[in-house]
Amino acid sequence: MSVRHLTQFHGLPVFDLPGADEAGELPAADSVAWRVRFTWGGSEDFDRIWERFLGTVDTTKVTALVLGCWGEEMYEDTLGPVLRRVVDAKERFPALKAFFLADVTFEENEISWIQQTDLAPLLNAYPGLEELGARGGHREFTPVAHASLRTLRLESGGMSAAVVRGISESELPSLERLELWLGSEEYGGDTTVDDLAVLLSGVRFPALRHLGLQDSELQDGIAGAVAHAPVVPMLETLSLSMGVLTDAGGEALLAGQPLTHLKKLDLHHHFLTDAMMQRLGEALEPAGVEVDLSEQETPNEYGGDLWHYVAVAE
Amino acid sequence: VPSRTIDSSARFTVVGNPGSRRVAMFAAAVRAAGCPEPEVLAWRDVLRGEYALTAGTLLRVDSPGEDDEVDRLLRGSDRDATSGSASAWNSARVEGGATWYRRFTAALRTLAAAAAATEGCTLLGDPEETAVMFDKRRTHALLATAGIPVPPALDMRGVPAGWDDLRTRLEESGMRRVFVKPAHGSSASGVVALEFGADGRARATTSAELIRLGDGRVQLVNSLRVRRYTEQADLRALLDALAREPLHVERWLPKAAQHGRAADLRVVVTAGRATHAVLRTSRHPMTNLHLGGARGDLDLVREAAGPGWPALLETCERVAACFPGSPMVGVDVLPAVGWRSHAVGEVNAFGDLLPRLTGLPGGPAEGLDTYAAFVAAVLRTRAAARAAEGPHP
Repeated sequence: MSVRHLTQFHGLPVFDLPGADEAGELPAADSVAWRVRFTWGGSEDFDRIWERFLGTVDTTKVTALVLGCWGEEMYEDTLGPVLRRVVDAKERFPALKAFFLADVTFEENEISWIQQTDLAPLLNAYPGLEELGARGGHREFTPVAHASLRTLRLESGGMSAAVVRGISESELPSLERLELWLGSEEYGGDTTVDDLAVLLSGVRFPALRHLGLQDSELQDGIAGAVAHAPVVPMLETLSLSMGVLTDAGGEALLAGQPLTHLKKLDLHHHFLTDAMMQRLGEALEPAGVEVDLSEQETPNEYGGDLWHYVAVAE
Repeated sequence: VPSRTIDSSARFTVVGNPGSRRVAMFAAAVRAAGCPEPEVLAWRDVLRGEYALTAGTLLRVDSPGEDDEVDRLLRGSDRDATSGSASAWNSARVEGGATWYRRFTAALRTLAAAAAATEGCTLLGDPEETAVMFDKRRTHALLATAGIPVPPALDMRGVPAGWDDLRTRLEESGMRRVFVKPAHGSSASGVVALEFGADGRARATTSAELIRLGDGRVQLVNSLRVRRYTEQADLRALLDALAREPLHVERWLPKAAQHGRAADLRVVVTAGRATHAVLRTSRHPMTNLHLGGARGDLDLVREAAGPGWPALLETCERVAACFPGSPMVGVDVLPAVGWRSHAVGEVNAFGDLLPRLTGLPGGPAEGLDTYAAFVAAVLRTRAAARAAEGPHP
């Protein structure tokens, strides 16, 4: 699978700020999620586009904002200054509830080459923010205390354990949905199962209803930990998708605590056998759990070695 | 359905590979137009100079591709070309483009001379224009001069000698994501999507497979699997091998996506009008169908592009106008992320092998496939020319 551009965000359709030379009426400021992004071959750099956005849209009513491409060269620490513009403009966005950083796909830059930046300054600048998403190589996350954040979604082809630890040390009393793509070790994903202990303990985020620990090469180990994790009974939905989940992980889930209270268990992109898929379905579906077992993968073979792959890495 | 010109006196000849899909589709289109069965002139005979043209014939030239013997005649060493069995020939190899181009264009020019010397014989396609289309550098320059949007190209003066040179050039030009293409390649042969990240890391995405021979030489072979090279040694071997022949290097403009797959369009322009369009999508940077590309949903594109859609078709017609002696061109269009703008990637002289694709609704080829549209356009032109000449006996 590949990462797609957002079409919906925070319950709103994503709308691209038109180019400087494009006519047409703008939608009401609070009716869409605004995507601001650099256009190849266009006449403006990101700063100009951003200033035009601030000048033409009533940002005081904007509730959802998405930043896409920010230049022809989206490498090294170029994203930090872009985020700083949003941080500095906090007075202009009193109604902002949702923000996504780096809605960029592989045609624009590889996810592993997007150098993500610390999101703590943004959270501190926008205490009313309820949803935060970001894509790329996440390397740091300064622990924050934020009373409003309900959804945190970090997409990555390789997330540093420091990010998992930073989130684990944060005070997020309203957090209902936490989604982390842990990624491949080759692209900086060095989170171990032990690093997930706090998240799995259930003590940190009392409002948590959805947990996604996804896209991991250690998906079996994560499944093994989840099978006995105190956080699970408080969840309504759980995702262990996109990773290297094999029958060992499936077996661990079947042998662990009951999962029948879940509304949904998302395991899409997996390496489970037909027999294991059937067992999981039989164990959970009669209880009303929706089990997503789509995208059954087969390992690639290179010179006699089998290679299991996560859904999003490079 | 547009009115068709029935002209049973029009006799077609097609230069192609007998038994190929292209020849079969063209013959079917000719028969459907009420014309006599076309004569088939085999590329292998053309390349050997063993042919005579029939007087009064309309001569269509189709692709010499997908035939091992013809490929060997065009790309093989002189020894390959004159002796040896076809079974030993590896048509998948990437190199040989320069030789292919030289022989192919020479054969076209000879064919054109033969057509000119044959009474009433009309060659449907200017060989010099076809030659431009088979040189990506010249095509790019021609389109850029005509003001058609094209991706910026790397200045190739003092041709890069290989990986180190290319890398330095790209760095100096500030181009960090490019397509490297053999100047005379087709069907994504040898095409590399090359990108540079932080800390000098580089990544090449290509269907070319790097084969290291026992004596240390490197051979590139086209495969059906798109693969990635990130090791310096591999990148060097890959680009050094490619740079032994002329290259065209241009910026990799991020393409729009449909359902998460990168998308581009092939638009066929027949007699100056954009008649057919197909959307191709892939999870790879190259969208060719044999590399896992698939046809996408054109209606969604029209919707997404809005006013950008007629503008895109107009661009394709402007491209065709750069090739006024070619009754059909296949234009590859790269829609930008968001579908609002576009650039032209390539122009294909034989870009109309699109089975079962009928013409754009409301256009002059609605209901017709590409070959039928070509035949209809040729017959219309012929009828108009005859009418201008006055009544025929």
